Amino acid sequence: MKLLMTASQIHGLPVVTVRGGEDVAEVRDVIYSPEAGRLVGVTLNKRGFLAGRSREVLPAEAIHAIGQHAVMVLEESSLVARDDAPDEVAHPATERDVLGNDVLTEGGTSLGTVSDLVLLVGGSGEVVGYQIDKAGGGQGYIPLPAQLSVSGVALVVPNITEEFVADDLVGLGASVDDFRARLGLK
Amino acid sequence: MSESFRGCRGRKVISRASASDLGVVSHLLVDTQRRQVAAVVIGSGRKTQLVDWGGLSGFGPDAVMVADEAALRPPGDDGERAAADGKLELVGKKALSDRGNELGKIDDVTFDADTGTLEDLIIGDRRIPAGSLLGCGSYAAVLEERQEDLG
Amino acid sequence: MGPIGWLIIVVIVVVVAAAAVVVVRRRRRGGSVIATKDKR
Repeated sequence: MKLLMTASQIHGLPVVTVRGGEDVAEVRDVIYSPEAGRLVGVTLNKRGFLAGRSREVLPAEAIHAIGQHAVMVLEESSLVARDDAPDEVAHPATERDVLGNDVLTEGGTSLGTVSDLVLLVGGSGEVVGYQIDKAGGGQGYIPLPAQLSVSGVALVVPNITEEFVADDLVGLGASVDDFRARLGLK
Repeated sequence: MSESFRGCRGRKVISRASASDLGVVSHLLVDTQRRQVAAVVIGSGRKTQLVDWGGLSGFGPDAVMVADEAALRPPGDDGERAAADGKLELVGKKALSDRGNELGKIDDVTFDADTGTLEDLIIGDRRIPAGSLLGCGSYAAVLEERQEDLG
Repeated sequence: MGPIGWLIIVVIVVVVAAAAVVVVRRRRRGGSVIATKDKR
């Protein structure tokens, strides 16, 4: 079942093993590639009220499925020790947290600030767009590939992105296709 | 004959060999790989005992007959102890699909009293074939997701 | 020590415990959305 979920809905979800039915960890940070437009992995917290960070992480390949209530892995050994995981998941660049980033067009207009990431789960973890707090007030959604560049403070997008700010997730789906057509992408 | 897990709670357990009263059924343990009843848990707390399905001479509507009293045993390892405490019990367990979506709580489980084979999982007003059961643990029972089971 | 003294101690202990819980919960929260750097 394909489903649009935001990163904030994925944060804190339990990681459950299919065979064992045990909640072995929970989602801490979400790591994505703006270039490839997909989820790269998640870092983990241990389960429990006062439990801290886990030493293990989940690269996207180790994830069996992401759903509304849990991230599924095949078994406990699906969790990867930091040393064995790809660098960007083992040592995430926390200074490149995009939440709160100013969304700026190449012309220098601010469309708002990034409040969330929107992903299509149920497939290969494709990143569909960003949720933004609009400059004029209210919430909007802009499609990926929208950014020309991204840092820990700003997201730079093509000027035409301004025409593709959707009001809701349904609208986002529609605007992604139009946007890509407009940019001459498949 | 079809039986349900809830329905057999509290049923008398009697020895066929000696006709003695061995206690009452607390709950049933399941082999999720083979989707079969693995053992019957009798009593609770310190006095908990297990009898494997193979040790029964019959699972009847009025009593569960154990072939010989000697077949009763205390829980063997941590896994069995947890199971005997009810932590791995299917009834009341959260049902989660293998795609990460919750399906509800398992209200009851039906099984064939002659073979011990599980038949259906009852979640609310839905009957889901036990063939969907992929695994069960202390957090949830994981079921294969089928379109028709959703909401 | 009079009852007021004990009451003060209890209040201090509760406040310190609550603060400790807040600190530990905050440190574990995470919740970042991190963009990778390299071209993939």
